[in-house]
Amino acid sequence: MYLLDIRNLSIEMTSPKGKRVKILDKVNLRVHAGEIHSVVGESGSGKSLLAKAILGFINPRWTVTADRLWWNGKDLLSLTPKQRRQVSGRDMAMIFQNPNSYLDPNSTVGEQLAEAIPAGDVRGTFLRRRVDRRTRVKRLLHRVGVRDHEGIMESYPFELSEGIAQKVSIAMAVAHRPKLLIADEPTTAMESSTRGQIYKLLARLSYLQDMSVLLITQDIGSIIPESQHVTMLYCGQLMESGPKDAILNNPRHPYTDSMIRMSMQRLDDLPHKSRLPTLPGSIPTLEHMPIGCRLGPRCPKARKECVQVPRVSKHEQHSFHCHFPLAEDDS
Amino acid sequence: MSPLLEVKNLSKNYTHKAHFLPGKQVSALSDISFTLARGEILAIMGETSSGKSTLAKIVAGVETPSSGDIWVNGQRLEKHNYRQRCQVIRMVFQDSDASLNRQLTIGEQLDEPLRFNTDLVATERRRRIREVLQRVGLLAEHAEFFPHMLATGQKQRVAIARAILLEPQIVVADEALAALDPSVRAQIINLLLDLQQDMGISYIFVSHSAEIVKHIADKILVLQHGKIVEFKETAALFDAPTDDYIERLLVTSGHIKQQVDKYAKEQ
Repeated sequence: MYLLDIRNLSIEMTSPKGKRVKILDKVNLRVHAGEIHSVVGESGSGKSLLAKAILGFINPRWTVTADRLWWNGKDLLSLTPKQRRQVSGRDMAMIFQNPNSYLDPNSTVGEQLAEAIPAGDVRGTFLRRRVDRRTRVKRLLHRVGVRDHEGIMESYPFELSEGIAQKVSIAMAVAHRPKLLIADEPTTAMESSTRGQIYKLLARLSYLQDMSVLLITQDIGSIIPESQHVTMLYCGQLMESGPKDAILNNPRHPYTDSMIRMSMQRLDDLPHKSRLPTLPGSIPTLEHMPIGCRLGPRCPKARKECVQVPRVSKHEQHSFHCHFPLAEDDS
Repeated sequence: MSPLLEVKNLSKNYTHKAHFLPGKQVSALSDISFTLARGEILAIMGETSSGKSTLAKIVAGVETPSSGDIWVNGQRLEKHNYRQRCQVIRMVFQDSDASLNRQLTIGEQLDEPLRFNTDLVATERRRRIREVLQRVGLLAEHAEFFPHMLATGQKQRVAIARAILLEPQIVVADEALAALDPSVRAQIINLLLDLQQDMGISYIFVSHSAEIVKHIADKILVLQHGKIVEFKETAALFDAPTDDYIERLLVTSGHIKQQVDKYAKEQ
């Protein structure tokens, strides 16, 4: 059974000009327990919205429809708001891009971490609870790879480097042992060495605690090396989804292919200062979404059939939405 | 011949204000000297709070140095002579949303630097704006648009148009590529390289992306705690990083490349 099973999730909103726009258009996503799943999409692709829909932070003016939005076999859409909040509070957690902007600047890291520990976990007398809480905070910090726990607990968020701050926020997120951790571009503004550390930490936590990680990122070049599945989104439509190796070695969708070729890591193969491969045009705004396949106007392989939304093609676990997919490798 | 840009013994101190006592001095940059030749790309790298943005701002004239000089073409840049500075050095910021005025059309915003720094009449200015918009890959009609009508990549193009409008010799880009989507980022890199080829502009790039720096920069300046640790040709530095700090900055995460390469070998 899947931990999270989403079928044909659509979110519709009314644009400022009164037009109904689908910001997410029939997206499928399946996450197994303990799996690392990367969602890749450029800005405006609805990747953060997908995370919000899973957690239930949805603006009441938007309409959410789904054939299936199942969490552990339970239908999330049929729950009352209170039950929904309980499920997301107990089983899910989220970390964001800029840790310093959502850690509380007025209290020390130790105090904030102590707050994050679930109340039911510490029992006994007043003093006993205090000591217990402190040792738990210490253990949490060790678990996320912070060695100098004394120093970090006493410091305020502005004193931390971005890597440590992100580790602290991960510690807060995993304090109640969630089953799913949603990481919304956790490393976008970081140096590559810090990014490597954060990714190793996420992979280790996922492995040790059997926690699923849904990593949301802009660039296919910055997915976690350990991730098992990759899903590509563009302008709210699902482009391609499948096991990481299949996506990277044999992309069937032109969008995935060009994203891989544009990835900064492939720059080494090009001569110094040469021009980079790129997609023409720019990402359409909400009011001007093309009909059919939304990649259409920018796609190198587009033909007149592309004004229809393509149907899903499946090859084992690898699925893609394209009228003219790239050739499959024979090997 | 003198180099295009020469920075000599530049330093910057900030003073923490105290009520009665003399304030505490914090040194953001100390004793920075480097040169930049025509048509070269210099990358400034360093960890957070190593002073790389401060250096870029001082070179562009946003902040004044505590001591030291900047020379361009053998001419010393005076502290408050913005007209002189604008003609040779311009800057592109990270967030194009914040650096464009949302109450003015693109045309009005591009008109301002021309009005303040040149003696052109209105028709000539309009012609210049049209040309520059086309040069950065937009249409002349975009002059009538307001910033919110454009996509992020197009806004960054407008910011670049504003920077090259006065035909400067140096453009300072402070993390101008960091916030962009991959497809847009590749387009902007191509645009910057094309502009360099056509107009012979030198760039000073502040960046933390080792991949981009390796691809476009000719020289790298590495800063740590406001001091220069290394100033060297890109290829030489990537081949043999001289200490741990530099090595850590230059890490390129290569798992995609490795995987694609491995797969290609198997074929």
